[in-house]
Amino acid sequence: MKHGFILLTAWFMIVSFYGTAVSQNTDDDLIDLDLDFKIEEVEKKPYSIKADIETKETIRFFDRDALLFKQRYLDKKNEATAWQTDLDLTIEGQFQKDFIKLYGRFNGLLYYNDDENFESERKVEEAYISFQPSFSLAIDAGKKVHKWGKGYAFSPSAFFSRPKNLDDPDATLEGYYSLSADYIKSRGGILQTIAITPVLMPVNRDINHEIGPKDEFIWGGKFYFFTLDTDIDLMFLVSDNLNNHFGIDFSKNLTPSLEIHGDAALVKDYHQYIIDEYGNTSKQEDTAFNFLLGLRYLSRQDTTYIFEYYHNGQGYSAREYETYLSLIERGFDQYLNTSSQSLISQSKTMSAYYNQQAAMRDYLYLKVSQKDPFDILYFVPAITVVYNMEDQSASITPQLTYSPLTNLTVDLKTGFLIGKNKTEYGEKINNAKVVLSIKYYF
Amino acid sequence: MHWDMFNLQDKKGMKMKKILIIIFLGLFSTLSAFALDGNEILRQVDRNLNPDSFEMYRKLINIEPDGTKKEFVMFSVKKGKDKIASVFLSPASEKGRSTLRIGDNMWLYIPNVGKPIRITSLQSVTGGVFNNSDIMRVDYSAEYNCEKIETIDTGYALYLKAKLKTVAYETVTMFIDSEKLLPYKIECYAASGMLIKNLYFKNIKDFGQGVIRPALIETDSPLYKDYKSYIVFANVKKRDLADEIFTLNYMHKIDGLR
Repeated sequence: MKHGFILLTAWFMIVSFYGTAVSQNTDDDLIDLDLDFKIEEVEKKPYSIKADIETKETIRFFDRDALLFKQRYLDKKNEATAWQTDLDLTIEGQFQKDFIKLYGRFNGLLYYNDDENFESERKVEEAYISFQPSFSLAIDAGKKVHKWGKGYAFSPSAFFSRPKNLDDPDATLEGYYSLSADYIKSRGGILQTIAITPVLMPVNRDINHEIGPKDEFIWGGKFYFFTLDTDIDLMFLVSDNLNNHFGIDFSKNLTPSLEIHGDAALVKDYHQYIIDEYGNTSKQEDTAFNFLLGLRYLSRQDTTYIFEYYHNGQGYSAREYETYLSLIERGFDQYLNTSSQSLISQSKTMSAYYNQQAAMRDYLYLKVSQKDPFDILYFVPAITVVYNMEDQSASITPQLTYSPLTNLTVDLKTGFLIGKNKTEYGEKINNAKVVLSIKYYF
Repeated sequence: MHWDMFNLQDKKGMKMKKILIIIFLGLFSTLSAFALDGNEILRQVDRNLNPDSFEMYRKLINIEPDGTKKEFVMFSVKKGKDKIASVFLSPASEKGRSTLRIGDNMWLYIPNVGKPIRITSLQSVTGGVFNNSDIMRVDYSAEYNCEKIETIDTGYALYLKAKLKTVAYETVTMFIDSEKLLPYKIECYAASGMLIKNLYFKNIKDFGQGVIRPALIETDSPLYKDYKSYIVFANVKKRDLADEIFTLNYMHKIDGLR
């Protein structure tokens, strides 16, 4: 924990020093306001690089009575809190010559916490080559993020991408290796734009192995239409070993300040794994229907409301989820009485399904953010609520974001989980979390 | 002779009549034109501000009351009356963000988010006094009808009313230099009649290819007291642009047009 403090303090000093330097430069510039019409960026270079470095201090407040805490730690953890310090570097670069573009984004993370001490992770988030022979056509090969769907917090039709982090839906995702194309045709009339995006994705032990256990090529596509001031997408994914997916989404401004969007997907022959309170597992096969309906509204006071209702047809019912938690409860009692971990271990085999975010069926999401309150420019307070409609548990996240200097963002986020016994948010490992992050772009 | 004299007088009279009719018609048509041509003047102002299809660089500068300055540099392409696409080149925190506007539809593409999202005209992708409508400005004649025109000492005052309720400012008063047919001040009002902001057009510059327009727009707003914002224009150039550039699928590739 001490290491974490030292790392954070050192970083804060560096940022403060640099911030002061930038601030002084800014004031000097003001004396001679740069209105000489020279814009350095006019001179284009064939390559460009940008990066950001972020330091983050996270404090988790454990809910020692929560069943997921007991599942993970049994009675072997005495601390009431856990601290983690992250130092995260992302570098993004591109090179373009004529109709060929190379693009890459790389991430390195160094973190410290009491359990693992210092650890590091490195990953290539995206790296692809793009051929753009005309304005209408682009062909991309390599590791790329294909973010489909119109949902802000949830994405039922994002068939070719990893799930978003519900805590930070805007966060960068890691892509998959694929071959894809983009053909655009724009014309007058009612149907103003048509775009077709076919995707071919290999799955084998070397690449994209997270997608499925068997070697195959999965393929799919997206058809985009812009008509009557409305964005519409039709999407599909076809696979021999995975479930076939079909989706549709739309987005439209009803008024200048009100946008409506929707996203729906059918997942054919979806296998859902269920466990009972004795640890017996079973598999149910069905076609799942997932959908969301969302609104984005900007008030006259510059308050933005993002609201979404999400139905997760692949999720668990309140009864199924409660049964899973009862298994953990029985497993913990078994451990206390007999030192046997068999039931707990059985529950852990299903944790990938039951412990994932939005594991149940019906959710409401609301984010309210206020731009520049109290005449403080570049300051945005916000609050986000995720409400599980089935068990009435919720996650509430107030957040303060401030950008006091160009390229510097300070973010303070706190999260509280609320719910009764044997509810999704009521039984999470933490009952509160505080995250302070400082990010600098260069 | 008498006949000739009469004829001559008659001819003179006819000529006079013709002249009077021409003067009257001329005056009448001028007055009619004055009454009718506010929209034509507005269209001419649009063409003088920028060509039908062009590219440009802009630097947006926000200055806070304490002197803190934030700058954004954008590359933009515009085609026709109501299509404009832009990409942020700096600062690093905004680099790669792109915006697209087709008529009343506006989208923002953030590289991290990886897909375009719809935004509204009154939001501001940069913060400060400029909103999205100012940054993604389409032709004034695409959004407004001229309801009244007045001749003033320095030129014309055009009183514009939004064609649709989706437009950021309900009414706009545009003050025009009658010689250059370029605006030097624009007042933007909300539906309530409240003044939202003033735009001052300054530093008329010859960008070449016949493009002569103000290279600086200064803004202040009673809503943002003591805040100032500027847009500096550079490299405004005519350019033929494909329609496919102004689509969601092209948003992440706009930088490649430079």
